[in-house]
Amino acid sequence: MWFAALLVYLFLYLPLTVVVIYSFNDSRLNAEWVGFTWRWYEVLFQDEEMIQAAVNSILIAVGASFIATLLGTMAGIAIHRYKLKALPFLVITPVAMPEILLGVSLLLFFIQVLHLTLGLLSVLVAHITFCVGFVAIVVRARLAGMDESIFEAARDLGATPWQTFRLVTLPLILPAVIAGALMSFTLSIDDFVITFFTAGVGVSTLPLQIYSMIKIAVTPEVNAVSTLLMLVTLGMILLAARFDKTVLRGQE
Amino acid sequence: MNRERITRWLVSGPPFVFMVVFFVLPALIMVVASFRFPGEHGGLAPMFENGTWQFTLETYQFFFSDFIYTEIFLKSFLIAGLTTVICIAMAYPVALLITRVPKRFRDVMILLVVLPFASNFLIRVYAWMIILGPQSAFSIAINSVVTAFGFEPVTLLFSPFAVIVGMVYVHLPFMVLPLYTNLEKHDPILLDAAQDLGANAWKRFWKVTWPLSLPGVYAGSALVFIPVLGMFAVPDILGGTGDILIGNLIKEQFLGTRDWPFGSMLSIMLTLAVLAIAALAMRFSRKSLSYA
Amino acid sequence: MKTSFTTEAQRHRGFMKKLFSVSLCLCGGFLFFLFTNTAYARDELHLYNWNNYISDDTVARFEQSCRCKLVQDYYSDNEEMLAKLAAGASGYDLIVPTGNAVESLIKSKQLRPINKQLLPNLRNIDPAYLNTAFDPGNRYSVPYAYTITLIGYNAQKMRELDLPTDTWAVIFEPKYLKKLKGRVTVLDSQRELMAAALKYLGYSANDTDEAHWRRARDLIIRAKPYWAAFNASSYIKELTIGNIWLAHGYSNDMFQAQLDAKNAGRPFTIAYATPKEGAVLALDSMVLHQTGPRPDLAHRFINFMLEGKNSAELTNLIGSGNPNRDAMHHIDLAIAANKAVFPTPEIQTRLEMLKDLDRNQRRVLSRIWTEIKVR
Repeated sequence: MWFAALLVYLFLYLPLTVVVIYSFNDSRLNAEWVGFTWRWYEVLFQDEEMIQAAVNSILIAVGASFIATLLGTMAGIAIHRYKLKALPFLVITPVAMPEILLGVSLLLFFIQVLHLTLGLLSVLVAHITFCVGFVAIVVRARLAGMDESIFEAARDLGATPWQTFRLVTLPLILPAVIAGALMSFTLSIDDFVITFFTAGVGVSTLPLQIYSMIKIAVTPEVNAVSTLLMLVTLGMILLAARFDKTVLRGQE
Repeated sequence: MNRERITRWLVSGPPFVFMVVFFVLPALIMVVASFRFPGEHGGLAPMFENGTWQFTLETYQFFFSDFIYTEIFLKSFLIAGLTTVICIAMAYPVALLITRVPKRFRDVMILLVVLPFASNFLIRVYAWMIILGPQSAFSIAINSVVTAFGFEPVTLLFSPFAVIVGMVYVHLPFMVLPLYTNLEKHDPILLDAAQDLGANAWKRFWKVTWPLSLPGVYAGSALVFIPVLGMFAVPDILGGTGDILIGNLIKEQFLGTRDWPFGSMLSIMLTLAVLAIAALAMRFSRKSLSYA
Repeated sequence: MKTSFTTEAQRHRGFMKKLFSVSLCLCGGFLFFLFTNTAYARDELHLYNWNNYISDDTVARFEQSCRCKLVQDYYSDNEEMLAKLAAGASGYDLIVPTGNAVESLIKSKQLRPINKQLLPNLRNIDPAYLNTAFDPGNRYSVPYAYTITLIGYNAQKMRELDLPTDTWAVIFEPKYLKKLKGRVTVLDSQRELMAAALKYLGYSANDTDEAHWRRARDLIIRAKPYWAAFNASSYIKELTIGNIWLAHGYSNDMFQAQLDAKNAGRPFTIAYATPKEGAVLALDSMVLHQTGPRPDLAHRFINFMLEGKNSAELTNLIGSGNPNRDAMHHIDLAIAANKAVFPTPEIQTRLEMLKDLDRNQRRVLSRIWTEIKVR
């Protein structure tokens, strides 16, 4: 078993190591090792499109995680407290669907109904739609592990719902809220499929940029941007894990 | 009491409205679109034209008029199933090992599983493009073995094999995590008891650990199977001449042949398939969902 | 229980305030960005162009001459561009689609007529590339550059294996393909691959007879087991590395592969040739989109690109075909002499531009394509 597990870990890490190593390869072709260079990182930092894509990614991720956290927290509380039937279905289904379906239906919706020009805003809305569910799940899980009597006690002592929320509920679920926010951020900055369908021209995000680079002209610049992106998302996940350990397991 | 009701609306209202507008409504639009005619130059033909409503079942007939589309669905299910099985086989030893190591190492080991997940999935797919390329050390090694046994050299990249490897690699963490969450809850006393009763390691696994872990297996399988079904980027990047799945077909209707009704219709078929699977999974794993 | 939550609450209160202000700042910053991003008031020309389809030097010179900024977005496929426009993309002054896409854009009334009075340099264009079937009288489009869909190959390997390089047969006939198993890629494009097969069978690339399509399909399915992949553009790299020995692709991509292989000091050369049965010529033209706010700058750009020197710069960069007669003096001699880039009049008669398909034809072709992929 040790051996099998070791092999799996190897399987997990070998490819990424290759990507990182090749980001320092002094050859356009990415086939054999030629020599060490920082060149691709320099190219990357001068690549205006790439930087614009990174800015877009961050903008969308910040906006989407903020709003999704707000809505997701509400949804989590509502599901837990009022035992609603429809809301869990509404919130969690997008999480369980193949992404392509959400992408396609939102594309049709934006164009056919809203007559919205695809752009930053459409991507933002799409990202919120699938992030809400993740936040709601984390928040609800946290609430489910809690003693119901605290809230009753607060009410019995005459606290308004808002007071109960602000003074009792929020402090208790805060780790889950923050974890949900960071998770949304990671999901949003990482999303490719839904963005692919809902992004207009001119609005590129990092994953879109990476996809077109892989499909069109692969240079080690892809490896360089991948390495950097890995570091960033890694940081976010570690941060999220500091607030709520369940994040590491709570992907379901 | 009245205030309680207002609160209730205030809390559940916004997410409810948001999801209805941006999830349910688009889904309905998609259903409607599948009954419309494609536009002459892409998009959709007008819904109301020449004094009549322009709806048709043509797209559905087109789907069922040829077995080929059903075939692609079946093939996608096969690939998704295969990916799931391989993921189970690979995730199990890891998850089991994590539960057996001392507590302080567990978080680190879990983190090690999640870390590759921190990179964008396109990057993970791209990594295999490098590794499976015919000039890579890995390919050359494999082929030297293959030719030593007298077979023709094999191409690894652009093959169904590459697609499966990519799919497994991208989705493996989704299997390890629920499996671990489940295995962690097992009471070691059960295994001790089995051992006392004379069961060997193999038997202990099949009679005790495996049946108990089934909810975790189901949860993980749903998390792997469903996304694989809709995936188009992996066959796009790693696949060869015949590797086309539902996802590719749907994508092509929107971005290749400008046939939105057909794309919508395929999406609806996929949705139905996923719902059927989800219903099945629910049945099997009520328990696992309740504490997930 | 009660004590535990009060202490936790106290611990979190300060933190919550901080968190609240931080998220408020983030949100404010976000909105600020969203607005500043859209509310620019500079002279900008928005060009929706193919990847790598204009030289940086040309851009710099144009920006200097018009005192404006050229903002580019890119596509790598006509269908992708059409899909994005159908999805409501707007604000583009200029697009550079291929003929059949121009036709589709004209018919769906997405284009603005050009004003030829603003384009004195239009006389530089070779009349052979004017007055095309997709835009009679050039009411909407001005030729930019062209590529030919042909075959590129590893010259050493093809010689070693004693294979012909002047015919589609080498892509479609098992007797040749046997020697090339797993070393061939073809374009992942319904129209292009079908056109090649139709040409090889002796039909027009624009043939829409279903029976002919089915014959082409059978030809493709018979050859498919020998091919490595349907491929959009990574054949450039695969050829350069030496993984692939023969590729169906665009002339400018082959030019790139040839250059890359030379620069990387590979022990072989990449060559390319137009098959004798004929091939598809893709004429990319500059058109004005209805939604573009700056037709004035767009006309300046078109006229600028019609200058021989500027037009030649693109050819020298990517090896594209050039419809501009004045450009010929500025084009590198090696490229100007390349028959695969500048076809002889004799080959020229066998080149065809693709026409747009109607919705029923698209659906039929799409099914045939699916069959090709699955079988």
